[in-house]
Amino acid sequence: MTTAMTCTRLTIFTVAGIFLQIIGLSIFVFGFFPVKPTLSGVSGSDSYRDPFCDSSPISNESELHHPEKLKLLYQELSGISSKYDRLILMVIDGLPAEFVLGKDGKPPWKVWKESMPYTQSLLANGDAIGYHAKAAPPTVTMPRLKAMVSGAIGGFLDVAFNFNTQALLDDNILGQFFRIGWKMVMLGDETWLKLFPGLFMRHDGVSSFFVKDTVQVDRNVSRHLPDELNSDDWNLLILHYLGLDHVGHTGGRNSPLMHAKLKEMDDIVRTMHLKAMMDRSHDQGQTLLIIVSDHGMTENGNHGGSSYEETDSLMLFIGLNSNKSDYASATNNVAFQVDLAPTLALLFGVPIPKNNVGVLVPGTLSSLRDFEQLRALELNSWQLLRLMQAQIQSSSFPGFSCNCFLDGTCEGLDLDISECSGDKEKQLICLFRNAAVLHGIWKSKKSTESSSAMEDFSRALDAYNTFLKTASEWLASKTTEKPVLLLGLGVGAMLISCFICATVFLSLFKEVYHEPKDQVCSLSYLLNLEEMFVGALLLILVISMGSSSMVEEEHYIWHFMVSTFYLLLLFKTAKSFNFSKGMNILRDFKFGSIFSLLISGRLLRGWHQGGVNWTYLPDISKWLQQVGSGYVKWIQLISNFLVIVLGLYTLFRTGSNRKSVRILAFVFSTCGFLVLLHAGRYQDDMSTDFGATVTVKVIYYLLSISAIGASLVLPWSARNKDKSFLAEVSDCLYLIGSAYILCWCLLQLLLQQPINSGPILLLLLQILTILFLSSNDLQVNEWVEIAALYYMGMAGHFALGNSNTLATIDVAGAFIGISSHSTILSGILMFIITYASPMLFLLSLVMYIGAKLRNHSNSTISTHRETSLGQILKLKLGFPCLVPLCINSILLTAYTVVLLLMRNHLFVWSVFSPKYLYVCATTVCTYIGVCIVAATVTYTFSVTTFLRSNRTRHNNS
Amino acid sequence: MKEAKKKKKPETSIGVSISALGAFSVYLITGLFLAVGFWVIRNIYFVDLISDPSLTLRLLWIIEFPIVVVIYSLFRRNPEKCSYFRAVGRSIVGLISGALINAFGAVSLGAPIGMQSLPKTIHWSFLMSVFTVVPASAVFGASWTDWHRVFASLKPTGNVEYMILIPAYGAIIGGWFGAWPMPLDWERPWQEWPICVCYGAIGGCIVGQIASLSLMILLRKHKNMKLA
Repeated sequence: MTTAMTCTRLTIFTVAGIFLQIIGLSIFVFGFFPVKPTLSGVSGSDSYRDPFCDSSPISNESELHHPEKLKLLYQELSGISSKYDRLILMVIDGLPAEFVLGKDGKPPWKVWKESMPYTQSLLANGDAIGYHAKAAPPTVTMPRLKAMVSGAIGGFLDVAFNFNTQALLDDNILGQFFRIGWKMVMLGDETWLKLFPGLFMRHDGVSSFFVKDTVQVDRNVSRHLPDELNSDDWNLLILHYLGLDHVGHTGGRNSPLMHAKLKEMDDIVRTMHLKAMMDRSHDQGQTLLIIVSDHGMTENGNHGGSSYEETDSLMLFIGLNSNKSDYASATNNVAFQVDLAPTLALLFGVPIPKNNVGVLVPGTLSSLRDFEQLRALELNSWQLLRLMQAQIQSSSFPGFSCNCFLDGTCEGLDLDISECSGDKEKQLICLFRNAAVLHGIWKSKKSTESSSAMEDFSRALDAYNTFLKTASEWLASKTTEKPVLLLGLGVGAMLISCFICATVFLSLFKEVYHEPKDQVCSLSYLLNLEEMFVGALLLILVISMGSSSMVEEEHYIWHFMVSTFYLLLLFKTAKSFNFSKGMNILRDFKFGSIFSLLISGRLLRGWHQGGVNWTYLPDISKWLQQVGSGYVKWIQLISNFLVIVLGLYTLFRTGSNRKSVRILAFVFSTCGFLVLLHAGRYQDDMSTDFGATVTVKVIYYLLSISAIGASLVLPWSARNKDKSFLAEVSDCLYLIGSAYILCWCLLQLLLQQPINSGPILLLLLQILTILFLSSNDLQVNEWVEIAALYYMGMAGHFALGNSNTLATIDVAGAFIGISSHSTILSGILMFIITYASPMLFLLSLVMYIGAKLRNHSNSTISTHRETSLGQILKLKLGFPCLVPLCINSILLTAYTVVLLLMRNHLFVWSVFSPKYLYVCATTVCTYIGVCIVAATVTYTFSVTTFLRSNRTRHNNS
Repeated sequence: MKEAKKKKKPETSIGVSISALGAFSVYLITGLFLAVGFWVIRNIYFVDLISDPSLTLRLLWIIEFPIVVVIYSLFRRNPEKCSYFRAVGRSIVGLISGALINAFGAVSLGAPIGMQSLPKTIHWSFLMSVFTVVPASAVFGASWTDWHRVFASLKPTGNVEYMILIPAYGAIIGGWFGAWPMPLDWERPWQEWPICVCYGAIGGCIVGQIASLSLMILLRKHKNMKLA
């Protein structure tokens, strides 16, 4: 750097870097997290009609809320007779299909085969048809269950966006069953209860939390089995056995417990087969037994990734009584896990779920008549076509109109079968056309001669199957493929922006620290302890992000490092301890402040035992709640009161008794007492009381008016003539900054859970302490102080009970003071609650700049007379803006790379992806905070300069 | 009072000197006692650091403390004014105050507070005090300027001060790094407080001793070259 950067160039570079970062981040997010093409709503009777017909309701659907009527309507429209009216869905968690069906056409290993004699005999007789049902990653239970019942391969983001409910809101097969009045019973993994709250007539959920328990967890399911098999009031019985998965987790595939567990499963299959299906005493149609597993397992018994062992799940149909045995005997039938949803829908006469990408499992149809088979395939094709229509523009469907294949009236389409080629979309449409045409031909001459009809039938069947297979693969790949180009572009843009930020920072760094003291050799500079520590902390954070357990327990790093930083400050202060001066009040204050930082940091750390693995350990919040809610209340009241006192003290500490300060103090204390009032009166009963809502709204308005008003009006009210320019600006900034953080604190006291009011007070205390320290010559560089503020903000983030899982987001607080449901408002409130601490520390930068300026103006009053506004702004605002941006940029970029490297990791969806969402939100928080700081400081400087020049012109004239 | 101390400084800096070999033997003896401590704990009490950390730590510091005091009191500042027993006495004061400082540091860095971990923390901080503060208090006594010069300004002069300073900081830094594995989910018994911190501290202390020995040898060579 030969010439120093001007303020404008610095700003332009920074803004460009940030924009590049935003663009890169959004490209990466859209590339990495599959956004599936979701059709909203639920399939109804119109799914039995040609997708090219306009979807006016067939009859008045509102009348059809009666389940029985709906069921009859569906039956009539589908034209497929449903033979079964009871379904037993047995889910064996983590059972690889290899155990039952073998691999690559070879029978399963002897030990596995011998463990399941009854199932193997069913397979050998042709009573059962088994499939290798390929599961899509992430191979963990909840997404797999969703895929099975909805037929859709869900993305990650829909998990993240459904923050307030785990319930499956998409169209799914259980919902369809419920709509036609089925009674359902669920025994087993409680994930089902979370996914489908209120859907089950009877249920007994077991938790998959105790992985070591391999016996009791299944006994709790089986104990109900005899009763349920005897009773005939249900239509669907879901059994979800977790034991096999637990056996795998504890001992791997070859665990000694595996044999016994497989035997147990086999016994259950036998019981059900003999009792529910062979025994026809109920005389109520047939029962279909389906045995599925949600995912497989690796040799070590883990799952989550995308290897063959993990995705090889089982789908076994028992009781289809098919007359064809070529599917039954084969051991290498391949299907997809999502195929379960359309198969069940067609077998039981309900519409196929809207976002299903699966296709009918081929062997399940053979018991149906010819026209029913084709009809089923047609319905499946229509449903997939509807999904494709959402992705392909309608111009690609030339001349398709309602029922034109049936009548042979499609415009511009000769009803010949053509070879399909071209790009994938064209090919798909062509395949569908072929199938539809062949179907139409078969229908038109069904009654004529039987031999050619047979041929037409098989041609139509083949054409449908080809189309379905291709379409399903295309749709599935649309949802799971990760566009390499997008990811590369995103990461590249982020790397460049990180580089830009770092370069800008370094150039400013050189200018500020190296220009005045050229003689300082770079070696001794490198040995500056705190700077090294700040850098090392960044490095440690980046490294620790690669380990899933460190991501889960990230708060330990922050607390540990921030405390170490305080200890380093203590060391530094002790180093500058000078005996010759004797006792010094200021110095003792300094020691006291650092000790108070240490103690408050420890209290903050102990407040919430965050993370994942050690949440059960005692902490202050648990202890307080144990000893009684009265104490929590007291803590809330005391911290509320102390925040008000501290705030007033800070406001009046500037020494200026201006009117504006008094107004500010008045508004502020009014708000404080309103918050107290709200806490005292309304917080106990969580009812949405009208009075409470009004109070909260008044507080919102007052706080925002006082914060915004202070920042806008205060610079204009500077009247003191004998103060220097910098002193004036510093006073003003100090006041605005304190208004910001005090308003923010009050807002947090209102929104956060009562237990968190203690940490809010402690955080405010920490900010005031470190500002006091820095204005009394902390002997560390400015950028180190700002970095420390950022780090303290992050430590505080975890001290408020946050973690890197989405479960700790305080959803309840997001509805305080909102009278009508609004996703945007609740989202903003949730963001405010979650990012309370980082934002507080970013806002405190305004105050920090003010304090620094005052120091500066005291020491060198006249040196900056000649320098321009831009130069001052660059020197004063450069670091407070650049340091948080740089740190955040480095962390974001590093974590993006980590996420990319970990994309096949077992925990990518459970640990790394939620963390990435937090990182993105932190980025947003940093942008907002830095924007506010930059805007406020620039505005204040410009207004003061303007007033000054006006005044001097006035004096001159 | 302050002035008096300040005046004393030039005289007091001349203490009993020690060669690198002497330092090595001091380290050897203290290390031997530590090893003996471990042996005694394992073979007489049949516990170790993992199964009963608080008993082990207590025995360790009780065994280690006397030998450290006995040895380092030999190197006390101005021995003509300060008797050997006075040095022993003040090192007991140093032990207790050092334990307090270490306990404060550990707790502020996140050591658990609670009835269960209280004895562990206490005995750990006594052991740390033996490593860090006791030698210095035996040598420097209440001479704050020496403390400040050696520990805060990091300007030791003479081999004795190297022996005090570098292993002490080694133990602290080692303990700091020793805390790193604690939050990881390896489910090992030694991840508990204060076991791995203790291992880290002992390891850091040994590294510090080696570093101080090599520094002594290097500096002597340097000095010899300067003289020559």
